[in-house]
Amino acid sequence: MTIETSSPMAAPQIDLSAPAAVPPWRLALRQFMKSPSGVAGAGMLLLIILVAVIGPSLYPVDPLDLVGAPFMPPDADAWFGTDYLGRDVLAGLIHGGRATLAVGAVAALITIAIGLVIGAVSGFFGGAIDAIMVKITEFFQILPPLLFAMVLVTLFGPKLTTITLAIGGVSWTSVARLTRAEFLRLRDLDFVKASRAAGASSANLILRVLLPNALPAVIVSATLAIGVAILFEGGLSFLGLGDPNVMSWGLMLGQNRNYILDAWWAVMFPGAAIFLAVLAISLVGDGLNDAINPRLRRRS
Amino acid sequence: MSALLEVDNLNVSMRNGSGRLVPVIENLSFAVAPAQTLALVGESGCGKSMTALALMRLLPEDFVITSGRIVLEGRDVLTLPAKQMRSLRGSAMSMIFQEPMTALNPLFTVGDQIGEVLRWHQGLDRAAARSRAIALLRAVQIPAAEQRIDAYPHQLSGGMRQRVMIAMALAGRPKLLIADEPTTALDVTVQAQIFDLLAELQRSTGTAILLITHDLGAVAELADEMLVLYAGRCIEAGASEAIVTAPRHPYTRGLLNCVPHLAVGGPPQPWVDLGEIPGMVPPLGARGADCAFLARCAQACDVCRAKPQPTLEPIAPGHAVSCWRKTELAA
Amino acid sequence: MAFATHLARQIINAIALLTAVLVLNFCLIHLAPGDPVQVIAGEMGGASAEVVAALRAKYGLDQSLMQQLSIYLGNVAVGDFGYSYYFNQPVLGLILQRLPATLYLTLCALSAALAIGTMLGVVSARRPNGLFSHAVTVVSLAGYAAPIFWTGLLLLLLFGSVWPILPVVGMADVVNPKHGFAYVLDVGRHLVLPSLTLALVFIAQYSRLARVNMIEALSADYVRTARAKGLPEWLVVGKHALRNTLIPIVTVAGHQFGNLFAGAVLVETVFSWPGMGRLVFDSILRRDYPTLMAVLFFSALMVMTANIVTDMIYRLVDPRIRTGRR
Repeated sequence: MTIETSSPMAAPQIDLSAPAAVPPWRLALRQFMKSPSGVAGAGMLLLIILVAVIGPSLYPVDPLDLVGAPFMPPDADAWFGTDYLGRDVLAGLIHGGRATLAVGAVAALITIAIGLVIGAVSGFFGGAIDAIMVKITEFFQILPPLLFAMVLVTLFGPKLTTITLAIGGVSWTSVARLTRAEFLRLRDLDFVKASRAAGASSANLILRVLLPNALPAVIVSATLAIGVAILFEGGLSFLGLGDPNVMSWGLMLGQNRNYILDAWWAVMFPGAAIFLAVLAISLVGDGLNDAINPRLRRRS
Repeated sequence: MSALLEVDNLNVSMRNGSGRLVPVIENLSFAVAPAQTLALVGESGCGKSMTALALMRLLPEDFVITSGRIVLEGRDVLTLPAKQMRSLRGSAMSMIFQEPMTALNPLFTVGDQIGEVLRWHQGLDRAAARSRAIALLRAVQIPAAEQRIDAYPHQLSGGMRQRVMIAMALAGRPKLLIADEPTTALDVTVQAQIFDLLAELQRSTGTAILLITHDLGAVAELADEMLVLYAGRCIEAGASEAIVTAPRHPYTRGLLNCVPHLAVGGPPQPWVDLGEIPGMVPPLGARGADCAFLARCAQACDVCRAKPQPTLEPIAPGHAVSCWRKTELAA
Repeated sequence: MAFATHLARQIINAIALLTAVLVLNFCLIHLAPGDPVQVIAGEMGGASAEVVAALRAKYGLDQSLMQQLSIYLGNVAVGDFGYSYYFNQPVLGLILQRLPATLYLTLCALSAALAIGTMLGVVSARRPNGLFSHAVTVVSLAGYAAPIFWTGLLLLLLFGSVWPILPVVGMADVVNPKHGFAYVLDVGRHLVLPSLTLALVFIAQYSRLARVNMIEALSADYVRTARAKGLPEWLVVGKHALRNTLIPIVTVAGHQFGNLFAGAVLVETVFSWPGMGRLVFDSILRRDYPTLMAVLFFSALMVMTANIVTDMIYRLVDPRIRTGRR
C-alpha cells in the first residue's frame, strides 16, 4: 500500500506560470534588470571600477608627484588642475579610486564576516550564547562607529591596513542583528527541523542549510556596507587620519580642504567621486532589495 | 414605500497592470427599504465588499465605477461633491468591517475613535462626545463602559472590538448600516451574539442594514431580502425566506448545501446531494460572456454552453434568477 | 509601577555598558604601540621626566593590570578623565565646555531633519507615483550618498564666496560681538549652514522612511475606517495615518544618535563650530589620547541617553508597549 502525499481533492491552485527550476538568483537577476535605477547604478559602478583598475596604466602619472605649480586651475595641461602641493588632481582621482574602493570592499568584507559569524552563532545556538552575543552587539552599538574608528586609527597609526581594519571592525552590528533575526526565523522552519532530525551537524546546518537561506536578506546590507566604508574612509581622512603615503579620494579631500577658497577643484572633484561611487552602490543596493525582497517591492 | 437606497445598473472595473479595465461588478441593481435588511451573499471574490465600498465611494485607487447610479434618500451619491459625500459617510450611511483588529486604529482609545464621529458630524464638545460614547458602548452591550471607553483596541477581545465598531458606526445615527462580513473574524459563539445585537439595534434605531456575508444561516435569520452574487453578477435575488427554502440557481443551492443546520434541519430537499461546489470563482479578467458559473455547474447543459449569461428574470413574485435551466430545475 | 522598574533596569544596563566602554578605553591604551605613559601624556604634551614620573605614580603603572584598571575606573568615578597636556587643563572641563555647542547643533539638526523629512515623506506618499514623489526619492538618494563633509564644503563655498549671505565660520560674530536678542539672532544665523548640512543626511533617510510607512498606513484598514466615518482628509492623514508613521521614524532617529553625533564632529570641523568636533580634530592632530578617549566615552553616554529617551517616547506614543499586552 502506498501513502498518498498529495490530496486528490486539492482545490485548483493559482497557475504559477513561471517555468519550474529556475535558480532563485536568476529570478532575482531578472527582477533586478527590470529596475532602471538599479541597472543605472550597476553601470555607474562598473565604470568606476573599470577606471580604477585600468585607469592607472592609461594615465601613468604618479598622484604623489609634484607635476606643476600649486593651485593650478583646470586647463588643457591638467584637466582637473593641481592641488596645494602641485600634484595632479586627475591622477589622484584615477589612482586614488583604487585605494578608496579597495578600502571600501575589504572593510565591507570584514564587516560582513564579523556580522555573519556573530549573528549566526547568536541565532543558531540561542540561550546563554545568544544573550552574550546580543550584549556584545549592544555594546558596539553604543559606540558611534566613526568615532570609534577614529580612536583606533589615532592609536594604531594612519596606515591603509589599520584604516581598513578599523572601519571593518566597528560597523558590523546591523549585519549581526539582521543575520541573527534571519537565523531565528529559519531555525524553526520545517526543512531545517528535517535536516536536524536527519542528523546534520551544527556546522553543517549553519553552513549548508541556514546560511544560504539567510544570505538574501544580508546581501543588501553587504552592498550598502561598501558605501558606508567608503564614506568612513573619507570621514577619517577628513579628520586628518588618511594614509599620507597612499593616494585616496578621502586623502585628497582631507589634505586640500583648508585651501578650498584657493583651489575648489582639488576638494570638489574627489568629493564628487566619493558621492558618485556611494550613489552607484546604493542604487545597486536598492535594486537588489527590490529584486530579493518582493514583499517590499509592492510597498513603494 | 419608496426605497432608502437604490442601486441601478452598477458597474465597477479594476484597472489592471497594463491599464486595461477588467469588470469586477456587472449590471448590479438592488434596493434597500428603510429599516429592512438586505443580504449580499456569495463566496469571497464575488464582489460583495467592492459593492459596499462603491456605495461609500471608498473603492481602492485602481477600482473605478464605470456606470450606474447609487441613490440614497433621493440623492445621487455618485455625483455628490467630495465634501458632501464626506458628510454623508458616518452619518447617513456608515460601515463596519470584517477585521475589527485592523479596522480600529491601535494608537487611539476607543472613546477617542467613537467621539471623533460625534464631534465631527454632530459638533459635540469633548465632554458631551465622551458621555454619548459611553452611552453608545452601553447600547452595544459592552460591560463597564465607563472604563472601557479609555481602553485601546488591543486591550479588548475580538467580539468587544466589533461591538466598538458597531457603536462607532451607529454614532452618527445612520439610515443605512453596511456590515461587511462583520463576524467572519470572530469565534462562532461570538458571531451569534453580534448578529443578535445587530437585529436588536435595528429594531431600536430603525436603521436599514446591508449585510454582506457568506453565512447563509445568518441570512435566514436576519435578512428580509437577499441577493446572491457570483463573479460580480447577481444570479439570484428575492425574499430571503423564499430563496432559503426554495433556491433555484445551482450556485445558491450549492451555497445552502454548505450550511449544515439548514440542510439537515429541514425536510430532505431533492437537491441536497449536490455536494460541495467544486472549483473556485473565476479570477478577474477570466470572466467571459458565458454564464460565469458554467465551469463549476453540475447542471450545465448545451443551452448554457451555447448562450451568454442569461438576464435576471422573475420566476415568482419577488424572486428572480439568472439561469437557462431555471424552469427545469424548479423541482 | 512597571514603568519605573523598566526605567531602573535600563539605567542599570546603561551603567554596565558605559563601564564596559571605560574598560575598552583602558585596554586600548595598553594595546596601543608604545609605553602607556606616552599614550596618556600624549606625544605633543609635556612628557618631561617629572610628568612621566607623576603619571606612573598616579595610574599605578608599575602595578598589575587589574590594579591599574581599578585605579582608572576609580578616577573616572570621581570625574577624573585625565589631563590634557596639549590644552593644559583637565579633560572633563574641556568636554563640558564644548558639549553644549555640539548638543545645540545636533538637536537643531535632528528637529529639522525630523520635521522636514517627515513632511517630504508624507507629502510624497499622497501620490507615490507623482513627480514630487520621484523628486523626493532622488533627493533622498543623493542626500544619503553625499559625504557630509563634502556637502558642508559645497555650502561653505557657495555661501562663503559665491553668494555670501550667511556666516560660514564659528558660532557667533567675534569681531562685532552682539548682546541680548541680537546675540541670539546672530547665533541662529551661524547655525543655519552647519545644522542644514548635518540635517541633510538624515532628511534623506527620514523622508524615505516616512514615505514607505505613510504609504503603508494609508492603505491600512483603520484609515479606511476613518474615511468611512466621514472624517476630512486632513484628520485622516494628520491624525490616524501620521501617528502610525511617526513610530518607526522616532525609533530610527533615536537609535541613530551616534551617527548624528559623529556627523556633527565632521560638520563642526568644516564650519569651525566651537564644539566637540573641533576638540576631536585638535586632539587627533596633537595625539591627545585622554581627550579622545573621553570623547568616545561621552558619545557613548549620549547614545545611551538617547536610547533611553527614545524608548520613553516610544512607550508614550504606542499604547501597545505601554500597557504591556500585545
